[in-house]
Amino acid sequence: MRWRDYLTLSLRSLRRSRTRSLLTIAAIVIGATGITIMLTFVTSVKSYVVNQFVQSGEARQIQVSQSQNLSFNPLGNNGGPTAPGTKIITPNIELQIAAFPHVTGVSAEIGQNGGNGIEYLVLGSTKLQPNIVGYQANHVLKIPLQAGRGLTSTDSSGVVVLTADYANALGFSGSGASAIGKTIYFHTYPGYTGVGAVLPSTLPPQVQCSQGQNCRGGPTSGLPSLNLPARVVGVVAKGYNSQTVYVPLAWAIGISNQSQPNNVIYQSSGNNQGGSGPGQVLGGWKTPPLSTFLINSNGYQSLTVKVDNSAYLSSTASRIRKLGFGAVTGQSQLTQQTNAANIIGLVLGALGLIALAIAALGVMNTMIMSVLERTREIGVMRALGARRSTIRRLFTFEALVLGFLGGFFGVAIGSVILLLGKPLIAKQFPNGTTPSLTVPLWLVAVVIALTTFIGFLSGLLPSRRAARLDPIEALRYE
Amino acid sequence: MVHFASSGDHPSFKCNAGVGCLMGVIELNDVTKTYRLGEENFNALDHVSLTIDSGEFVAITGPSGSGKSTLANVISGLDRATSGRVIVNDQELSSLDDHEMSLFRNQTIGFVFQSFNLKSDSTALENVMLPLIFSKMNPHDRKIRALECLNQVDLGNRADHRPSQLSGGQRQRVAIARALATKPMLLVADEPTGNLDSERGKEVLRLIQDLNKNGITLLVITHDESVASRANRIIEVRDGRVSSKAHHS
Repeated sequence: MRWRDYLTLSLRSLRRSRTRSLLTIAAIVIGATGITIMLTFVTSVKSYVVNQFVQSGEARQIQVSQSQNLSFNPLGNNGGPTAPGTKIITPNIELQIAAFPHVTGVSAEIGQNGGNGIEYLVLGSTKLQPNIVGYQANHVLKIPLQAGRGLTSTDSSGVVVLTADYANALGFSGSGASAIGKTIYFHTYPGYTGVGAVLPSTLPPQVQCSQGQNCRGGPTSGLPSLNLPARVVGVVAKGYNSQTVYVPLAWAIGISNQSQPNNVIYQSSGNNQGGSGPGQVLGGWKTPPLSTFLINSNGYQSLTVKVDNSAYLSSTASRIRKLGFGAVTGQSQLTQQTNAANIIGLVLGALGLIALAIAALGVMNTMIMSVLERTREIGVMRALGARRSTIRRLFTFEALVLGFLGGFFGVAIGSVILLLGKPLIAKQFPNGTTPSLTVPLWLVAVVIALTTFIGFLSGLLPSRRAARLDPIEALRYE
Repeated sequence: MVHFASSGDHPSFKCNAGVGCLMGVIELNDVTKTYRLGEENFNALDHVSLTIDSGEFVAITGPSGSGKSTLANVISGLDRATSGRVIVNDQELSSLDDHEMSLFRNQTIGFVFQSFNLKSDSTALENVMLPLIFSKMNPHDRKIRALECLNQVDLGNRADHRPSQLSGGQRQRVAIARALATKPMLLVADEPTGNLDSERGKEVLRLIQDLNKNGITLLVITHDESVASRANRIIEVRDGRVSSKAHHS
């Protein structure tokens, strides 16, 4: 018998018991739809994550930290107070790492723990927590933006890139585009001596700090708080390090309290133990150079190192570790995330498989019924010259067609559901970036092949039973 | 002309194949078919030997359970003899495997059943094409051949009708067309008029008689005297043994 004839005869039999065939197919459709949706979701989220990594350059980045085992967070405020014995990341170390082979660039970051003197961000009556991160604006770090521009190497001070959350909290609605060009203020603690402070030759009386009061002690504590203007140049895309304010590295250092008077003589009767004033600054103010500041304080929070090819990530990372620093590759982070996606996919896929296994029992049941109902027809076909193998193939083909149709419609319905559900899912992702959620061609093939194979397997037993029927018994069957 | 031998009744006529015995197109030599019924063995055919010539019209009669269907089944390759030789059209059936036996049924035997046994989901034409599908004839040729057969039974204009749209007599004629499709040498009809009223029965009978006159060998199992009376020869089966009488209508 020709293959086309098998197909024609199978389809005809399925059409004859239409309701039963449709119900059997429906069971397979449910399983196939489930598998299609689940696997498409997982694979497209995975490729989305990979894409984001590649686009932001994180796929070729190494995050260097003072302590080991920090999770990857290129701009986040992730360095805790320096533990004793921790090697700090000095400008020299940065230069050393920048000279490693395959390293194309290094960006240093410094966060709140650099010791800056900003108490809060302010615009009008809104005050916000100052989670300030300074970084070297170069080709290494690419921050995804939804409005304005990122920091550039020519930015020195007085500019800021906000995250969408900050922009919204400051009253700039929507994408935050209205914030671009506006000036917000960094409000300093009293006693601020960083960039922008007027360093007088006469200090006001020292302020005594009672417990819980927000002030800084020391000879400069009488200096006033300032509002440092910062022009908003960009707004970071939603979902990216949402609670951070980015400023140029130099400014982040500059707004620290690094300037100290050389010597202070207080006017009140020789008592220079504090509490009285005003005092005379003798010998002017000393402002240590950047490198000295970093060496004396906690150093850079972290470095982001970029290599020319992701193949050299791990070798470069291990060289950095040999220097005594923590080094986490974007790749390893990515692997973690994709592994998580894989596990989700595996679990969801297993559920789909269970649904398909149940559907397989349905196919088997349908086929056994079909063999029983058509016993006499089988006898007739045998009399007319059908071989055992012909009968076996005929029923196997029927089961296989059930599986194929179930898979086909499952994929189709799954695709439609994904298409309809896309707007809902898109809301969970940053503006304009959504996982594609298109069923990949390989998945179409795999799902249909799988259900067809399941149909084939479910048809084995019934079709063998059909083939084994004695033609005479079969012809006599009522 | 009757070539007949049966154990029991006429032992002197017993034929040893090929030895001084006219070779018929169907030859049974000491054929026994044993069924196991519970603990006991039951001989549906008991040492049967007979010969049927090409072009004969043979009626097989006998009471229910006598073994007449078994005889037809053994000859038509639906069943296998427990012992003895069955030779049809120079083929020793016991030596055929399932594949060859199916081919034998397809090519050599045309079956007509009492209850027509047409596929209800197929048209008359598709029903007639079924044995040709099994013989792997190409779709074009098989359609031509099937139409030819339908014309032969006067149903060329009903090719697209489903069995449910046809009368009983027409259905049986479709079944006959189907039996003829592969140009078999032997037509085996089991009570072909059993489900028809007498008028339609006669029509069908006339049709197969005509076919017989055109050369096909005809084996009809029947209870019906009027059917049997048309045969050249009646083989009566009783308790697995056969006796035969020539009959010229």
